[in-house]
Amino acid sequence: MKRPSGTISARAGRWICYTLMLIITVYSILPAAWMMLIALHPKSSSMTGAAVLDMSNLTLSNFPEVNRLIPVWTNIGNSLFTTAIGTVTTLFFCSLAGFAFAKIRFPGREFLFYALVGTMLVPPEVAVIPLFMIMTDLSLTNSLWSLIIPKMATAVGIFYMRQYIKAVPDEVIEAARVDGCGPFRTYWQIVLPMIKPGLAVWTTLTVIARWNDFFWPLVFLRSQEKYTLMQAISLLPVGEGLSTPWPIIMAGTAIAIVPPVIGYVIFQRFQKADMTAGAVKG
Amino acid sequence: MLSFARRHGAGYLFIVPFFALFLVFQLFPILWTFYISTQEWSGLGEPESVGLKNFRLLLTDPQFWDATANTLIYWVCGLVFILPLAMGISLLLNKRDLHGLRTFKTLTFLPYVCATVAIGLIFNIMFDTQQGLVNEVLGLVGLDQVGWLTTTTWSKVPVIVLNVWRHTPWFALILLGGLLNIPRDYYEAAKVDGAGAARTFWHITLPSLRPVLMFCMIMITVESWNIFAEPFIMRGPGTSNVSLFQYMYESSFRLFKYGYGAAIGVALTLILALVSIIQLFLMRKDADA
Repeated sequence: MKRPSGTISARAGRWICYTLMLIITVYSILPAAWMMLIALHPKSSSMTGAAVLDMSNLTLSNFPEVNRLIPVWTNIGNSLFTTAIGTVTTLFFCSLAGFAFAKIRFPGREFLFYALVGTMLVPPEVAVIPLFMIMTDLSLTNSLWSLIIPKMATAVGIFYMRQYIKAVPDEVIEAARVDGCGPFRTYWQIVLPMIKPGLAVWTTLTVIARWNDFFWPLVFLRSQEKYTLMQAISLLPVGEGLSTPWPIIMAGTAIAIVPPVIGYVIFQRFQKADMTAGAVKG
Repeated sequence: MLSFARRHGAGYLFIVPFFALFLVFQLFPILWTFYISTQEWSGLGEPESVGLKNFRLLLTDPQFWDATANTLIYWVCGLVFILPLAMGISLLLNKRDLHGLRTFKTLTFLPYVCATVAIGLIFNIMFDTQQGLVNEVLGLVGLDQVGWLTTTTWSKVPVIVLNVWRHTPWFALILLGGLLNIPRDYYEAAKVDGAGAARTFWHITLPSLRPVLMFCMIMITVESWNIFAEPFIMRGPGTSNVSLFQYMYESSFRLFKYGYGAAIGVALTLILALVSIIQLFLMRKDADA
């Protein structure tokens, strides 16, 4: 007894959805695509909007040129080091604390957890001046460790891991305990393998955040050989004064965003679990 | 005592790294910021105690008020644009009968993967007054050139666009998580009752997402008051798009007025605390979400 108009409006609804998907996709990839287009043009070309769409004289020569403006390999190495060590330590400490908050009972746990949630509301950035002095006292300025150490365990990460580990059945933890498994072994051998999807998500988010970090390197790092890639590319436009070679600068920025984008797309294919699973549910 | 340690030691031991780092690198520095804000210090020599002078200066400093107003605008625009956009994207992602959803999901998340600094540089080109893509497109529909980064009226726009562009995907994913957690039978019941899409959204989807939306609002708030890279890379004339946090950075690390910078930090902390208290008050019902 269904009226035909129902199916027509359902079809129209689908077309509206596809149109919206197309618009959002274009909007999402346009700036990065535009950057790539400029990067592939000869250094002398002017950047007038539509002229960039002319594909007749594309070139890769801007990429090696970046190396003349900044020590790009060193900068990439610094970014890789900070990202890798930063991610591994955060994963470990956040999941460990998340496990304690989710599955170990101890006096004051609720209070400490709310204190932890409260710390998310005041960002460490507002205390940047004393932080800079502390780093100076610890002889950590101009060292990549100044970027890694303060963020080895973050409130958001612990909050996220706790949500995830809560979903692990209590019976599993209890069974491990009865079998004589200590808390750390339970965490390492039982919980970690069970929360692999959550770890994968947090890895993705941390890698993105660490690789793209801009403010902290700007404050703590002093010499060009210590700069991370983000910090280095931010200085590209002032490098050559008035005749800013935009195609070369865009090649530099492309070097900064293309690796994580490729990594993300590959990772996304392998990732079975949803980015969102466990992210919100209490 | 010993048995207490044996029974509960592991719990405390596992959370100690966070709290230790928090004390050294967050709580102590924040308290120290309060102290430095009462000093006059250029980084060299001894700091000089000046009481509340920095705060009195702050109150009469037009640059400070400009920066505060700009940041307030970034915050409001963040809430107004990010939430509905993220909601729309998450609703699309939740329609499981559409083709190409996986690709769509990967592509819409790309802005969050791209560094603000890098995209800020390309925005400088795209929003260029003479040669920019944006003005060229406006020209096609017969509109005049806009001095995006050269006039005080418009220079906040690219900053807002970049902020919204980069942060929307993350919130879309969080909202999608919330959507996936709404029990299916709610929707089936609504269908049986003959409720249309709009009514279903208004009476089932939105109320169920309340805690998630609250979480998003808090995250947008904290991030907006901290906005830095966007206005730092895309500079407008004068203080037209300087953020509060950027003003703090420049006062401290460019002009070496550490006491003054710390006073700005204190003001920022107080603003955030106030906004957070209001938000916590609003979400107290959903506290254990």
